Amino acid sequence: MPLLRWETNVDPFASFQWLRREFDRAFDPLRLFGDARRIGGGVFPNINIYNGNSDIVVLAEVPGVRQEDMDVSITGDTLTIKGRKTSGIDNEEKIRFERRERGSGEFTRVVILPDRVAGNNMSAKLKDGILTVTLPKSEAAKPKQITVQS
Amino acid sequence: MVKKENEKNIEVQARRERPQPAETLLPLVDVWQDESEVTHLVAEMPGVANEDVRVEVDKGVLTISGKASWQEPPPEKYSPTYLGFTNGEFYRAFALSDEIDRDKIAANMCCGVLKLMLPKAEAAKTRRIEITAE
Repeated sequence: MPLLRWETNVDPFASFQWLRREFDRAFDPLRLFGDARRIGGGVFPNINIYNGNSDIVVLAEVPGVRQEDMDVSITGDTLTIKGRKTSGIDNEEKIRFERRERGSGEFTRVVILPDRVAGNNMSAKLKDGILTVTLPKSEAAKPKQITVQS
Repeated sequence: MVKKENEKNIEVQARRERPQPAETLLPLVDVWQDESEVTHLVAEMPGVANEDVRVEVDKGVLTISGKASWQEPPPEKYSPTYLGFTNGEFYRAFALSDEIDRDKIAANMCCGVLKLMLPKAEAAKTRRIEITAE
């Protein structure tokens, strides 16, 4: 089951991009053979998903993205993180870059959550370029203890 | 000191000796020079708090480093479903041209992005020489 996907109505080749990215990530030569790992790149944010007993925590790396440029929404069990990363550089088109590794532009990352979530008490925090989204699970998705009787 | 003919003020040096933390992350950078010959270096260090960034210049080597301080949810209560990035220490070193005025380097950190301004020393700036007709 793919946990992550692009918005397929935007790009018909979205799932191929997803596949390519996951392969790149798995076989990143820097990661396999090097001593330092390159993180990020482009505007597409890296995410971590943690599944807890009562809630799901999603972390996303969004350095340089301002709070007002971010849009986090949830539909059913699909979390959408949208945002715009600005380079913060004036007269960008006139500059001859010596080195350009960061990206800028709009991004959308869609996450299929591992469980159903309740619609209330969700929170999203942005600190030092890390977005933390906390989503409480719906009652039906929470584990329940069944007492074994003898 | 490595210096290329096309006047690069900053040259990336790969694989320098460094302390060995658990996981070293390479910050992505943009480098460019503006009209007033100030070299700008912008580095992405997500999760590094403003007070945890270190910028050092030593013997012509500019080092930027900082530890990402975001907290992973406690592993006894949360199981990772998908991991796209890890917590670690950012580290990257650059060779610095002699032309850069060490005392005037300015640094600014905001929302996981470090911005450095490295102005050239006055003596190293390009000067136009007026041609006088006889």
